[in-house]
Amino acid sequence: MAQRNGLTLTDILITVVIALVFAVIYSLWDGIYTILQPFGLHLNELVYGMWFIAAIVAYLVIRKPGVALIAEFAAASGETIVLLQFDISLIMYGLIQGLACELIFMFFRYKSTSLMVAVLAGIAAALSTLPLDWYYGYLGMLETWNLVLMFSFRILSGALVAGWLGHLLYKALKETGVLKFVGQRHGNSHEGL
Amino acid sequence: MLNAVKNYSTFIDRANPLTKILLAAILFVTVIFIHNPNVLFLLTIIMLIMLLFLSGVKIKYLAILLIFIFISGSIASLYMIFYGEGTQTLFRYGIIHITEESFVRGIHISMRGVILSLFGALVIFTTKITDVFYALMIQLKIKPKYAYSFMAAIRMVPIIIAEYFQLRQARKVRKALIHKKYISGFRGLKSTIVTLLSQSIRRAYRLGIAMESKGFSDGVRTYYHKTSFSKYDLYLIALVGAAVFAALQFGTVISPFTSTDAR
Repeated sequence: MAQRNGLTLTDILITVVIALVFAVIYSLWDGIYTILQPFGLHLNELVYGMWFIAAIVAYLVIRKPGVALIAEFAAASGETIVLLQFDISLIMYGLIQGLACELIFMFFRYKSTSLMVAVLAGIAAALSTLPLDWYYGYLGMLETWNLVLMFSFRILSGALVAGWLGHLLYKALKETGVLKFVGQRHGNSHEGL
Repeated sequence: MLNAVKNYSTFIDRANPLTKILLAAILFVTVIFIHNPNVLFLLTIIMLIMLLFLSGVKIKYLAILLIFIFISGSIASLYMIFYGEGTQTLFRYGIIHITEESFVRGIHISMRGVILSLFGALVIFTTKITDVFYALMIQLKIKPKYAYSFMAAIRMVPIIIAEYFQLRQARKVRKALIHKKYISGFRGLKSTIVTLLSQSIRRAYRLGIAMESKGFSDGVRTYYHKTSFSKYDLYLIALVGAAVFAALQFGTVISPFTSTDAR
């Protein structure tokens, strides 16, 4: 097959399906997020990274521009599709987080599949929506220790849950052999057929 | 599926999905700029009334949904109620310090979420998901390859869910044979996700190639399902505009909260 650089329908379909798999898993375990909230200690922030893990896994699999953004949009609208709940703020957050991942991947010219890139993208996505949260949730009016706790949990979650776990899943997926025909292939890549 | 829970349809069903999404986005920005809890309180009531009468959904389903929306809405702002800054102490226990200011602020944040959820519920009950993608293609000229991949992927969701339960049953059957460490905890999670992902990627790849060869990816298309803008869109815009306007106006008159600024 000739090498095509743009996104093909197959690429997009795979991206969306990856995002929806995470949306399904997330919806089935939706309770965890809600259960962790009542203490107000931001324990729910520890699983926050699950929201943008889809973008990182989809990028590692396809490695083309635009994939992270589409994956995040699909993951955010996934809740609408799976649970029939439409929440516009989720979609807004998703798009911003997708853009943040996209910027990191663009910086590495959509080539690297290293753990570091995944972790960086996770942290970038975690940081990207903090300004919005600041205004939406009046975070400036929170006691300082609580705010610091929230920030560190979220960044930790972005790095570990989204970045590290995402990369781990990618490696496991590669071992199964399903990625042989999928996504961008570079001439000098170890990814060859 | 939507018809099973609905009694009647209203003009909102006939409005363009893009109008509804755009209005939701505008509403999101609007509630961020409203700092008066009284205004938000009124807006919550108005949105509740709109959902009750204009969604056309049977009251029994609405009641379940409303309980869910209000509970998850109030839980989401507990961090602010418990640990927000303020001077008028209402309650103190260990690290929990509830003040009057933080309490109002917490309720305020909850109401923001509830307003968006109520409007979101109204949208979801009056919109067919495939229509969203047709509207994106026809009105916004999004390339068909994006819209059709989304629509195809949505059809795969039931298969993914079925596969998840199949996997669980398979593990249950083989429970005596597999060591617990492979199916519980982190390794269990990993193997679940990898199984679902690999199956789905394989299926999506096959379907994608088939769809590409049938010309779904590019070229000029005509559509059997059509979406368009109509007077109903104007009605909906006017309705939401009036709701926000009324809340802003009467929020200064009717005031269940003594403070007028949640900050």
